[in-house]
Amino acid sequence: MKNKELSFWLFITPVILSLSLVVILPVFMGFFYSFTDWNGLGFNNFIGLTHYRRLLEDSQFRQSLWFTFRFAFVSVIVLNVMGLSLAVLVTSKLKSRNLLRTVFFMPNLIGGLILGFIWQFIFIRVFAALGNFTGIDGLMGWLSTPTTGFWGLVILMVWQQAGYIMIIYIAYLQGIPKELIESANIDGATPFQKFRFIIFPLIAPGFTVSMFLTLSSSFKIYDQNLSLTGGGPFNSTQMVAMNIVDTAFSSNQMAYGQSKAVVFFFIVALFSLTQVYYNKKREVDL
Amino acid sequence: MFKRNYFYKGLLLFSAAGLLAACGNEGDIPGTDGGNGNGDDGNGNGASGEDISLTIMQGKVEFNSQFNDLAQMYMDENPNISIDITSVGGGTDYFTQLTTRFSAGDEPDIFSVAGPNEFEQMAEYLSDLSDTEAAAAALEGTLDDVTEDDGTVTALPYNLEGYGFIYNKDVFEAAGIDAEEISTYEDLEEAVQTIDGNLDELDIQAVFAFPGAEAWVPGNHLSNVFLAHEFDESVNEAYAADTVTFERGDEFQRMLDLQVDYSIEPVLSLDYSQQVEEYFSLGQVAIIQQGNWVYPTLEQMDPDFAENSVGMIPIPLEGHENHLPVGIPNYWGVNSNSDDATVQAAKDFLDWMYLSDEGKDFVINEFNFIPSYEGYEDMDIADPLSQIVYDYSERGETIGWVFNGYPTGWTNNEFGPNIQAYIGGEMSWDEMIDNSISAWESLQ
Repeated sequence: MKNKELSFWLFITPVILSLSLVVILPVFMGFFYSFTDWNGLGFNNFIGLTHYRRLLEDSQFRQSLWFTFRFAFVSVIVLNVMGLSLAVLVTSKLKSRNLLRTVFFMPNLIGGLILGFIWQFIFIRVFAALGNFTGIDGLMGWLSTPTTGFWGLVILMVWQQAGYIMIIYIAYLQGIPKELIESANIDGATPFQKFRFIIFPLIAPGFTVSMFLTLSSSFKIYDQNLSLTGGGPFNSTQMVAMNIVDTAFSSNQMAYGQSKAVVFFFIVALFSLTQVYYNKKREVDL
Repeated sequence: MFKRNYFYKGLLLFSAAGLLAACGNEGDIPGTDGGNGNGDDGNGNGASGEDISLTIMQGKVEFNSQFNDLAQMYMDENPNISIDITSVGGGTDYFTQLTTRFSAGDEPDIFSVAGPNEFEQMAEYLSDLSDTEAAAAALEGTLDDVTEDDGTVTALPYNLEGYGFIYNKDVFEAAGIDAEEISTYEDLEEAVQTIDGNLDELDIQAVFAFPGAEAWVPGNHLSNVFLAHEFDESVNEAYAADTVTFERGDEFQRMLDLQVDYSIEPVLSLDYSQQVEEYFSLGQVAIIQQGNWVYPTLEQMDPDFAENSVGMIPIPLEGHENHLPVGIPNYWGVNSNSDDATVQAAKDFLDWMYLSDEGKDFVINEFNFIPSYEGYEDMDIADPLSQIVYDYSERGETIGWVFNGYPTGWTNNEFGPNIQAYIGGEMSWDEMIDNSISAWESLQ
């Protein structure tokens, strides 16, 4: 028994150590610094809640928070719909399904920064060229208005992440026992009924995972935001992560940026945990 | 089955390539080995034969490889010196990394500093460089911003840079306009309208390419012309100022409007590289508001065009006609925490770089710097744009750069976006001004 305990601790200690060193400790240090006038090199005074009070009046922060909410809402829906549709597509009896799986997953292998620049080229140049050619005004001037900036980001995000979410759904789709589908067939269920009443409830755990992943990644998106729009025009597409980085590193207000990060941390945690709680309740066991 | 394997192998290869690329990048991040150098020479008395390693960290990536070549040359001449250079790109990233290295105890011996805010933060780490030959040879005025009240010089200038309206000589000639005659706003407006009326004949798309996506082009450079005299052309005065009044805001507005109205559309997503590479160097526009630093890019695109068809005129300003905004973007500082022998070696290296014959040759021909030191009078400055900047500063017909003294983050997070909102029609000019003034006051 004692031996077992020893090996238990031997295995778990390195993980706990590294996790607390690079994640837990910095989080608490961050909380601490947000109550000081820390400038990155050192701090002189505890200033209590000053930064948090200032936050309430920071219109740019509010605006980026609102933008991030809207972005997360739209992209979580589109991502999951797309991811599930792709997964259904590539688990059907298509000849090219293996090729398609690879192709759909591919964008996920390209770094967000590079993707941003690629799509910037597509939105600005290719769209404009197509617009000139076809005479469709809607293709002109992308990324130069807040609306096109918003949709540009959504398109980029979906294009990059849909393949990844697809993989998760594939795993759950393939885990559905064949006999259930067969018996439904025998009972004369239509494809829609099969999807709605058998497949859908059985992949509920997949929803929990995918919703969690898409929600937190949509909230925390930074590199795509930076390279695609850079927050422009006039900071209208600036998301919270970028607002925090700008405050901390370009305005050099480290502690103030840190207090924004603390608030943001609680918001993301709240959303993700609520979402996991509700989705968990919907899951069914076989 | 075979097919599937094939694709998975492809996928694996793809990700392996990604991994490799990631590893490659790691090399560029300042390593931890740089800091050990300090310890090595700590035990000596600084005799000339002592092995000394200099770690340099600087923020101008454009000349990184040439700078490394120069350092190699110096190491060949002085076998006891070893130099390790880290160059980190573009503005804010550099200073963050610098402070990170300082707070991690991995301090470079020589580092670059730009602007009063960086000077203030690094003040305690800057050695006295008054006794260097380079300080004695620095051009008049170039040390003003880095000299303390008691005459102590804390940093040495890199080079001079200047900006204005860079124009396409061929287009101007074809339109029958003499750019050198343009000295007032009215002259400029007339020239712009003339060109605009003949876009087809001149075979260009628009008069200007105005990069509305870059906050610094209107926010730092253009505004500097109209704000400089509010602060007596002194960057330190701007840095100390509690507020900004935009005394000449109307002139600023009409100059901005002029560029935006006659620019390639859409202005707000147009960026620096489109402005310089796509539109100007390919002869699609007549004028861009940029500085001598675009020359290497122009030369890369079309050497013949860059050599013969590019000129620069000042941005017209009433009362200061024909004055070009010229400033010093970066300074060298020497770490005062390094031991005496290392500090001396650092000073020697900087002196050698700017004042020895080999160094001067490199500064002019390889770095393409506009020298900010004496002793370059007989040398040919490499490109026509730099020559223009040097000529203006030699004649003293310059407007000082004050934008490095704007409150930190003001241009990027407040003023620049406000100007973009004005261009996009989301804000009126007066709102834009009021907003930017209160942002300045709250950041100061």
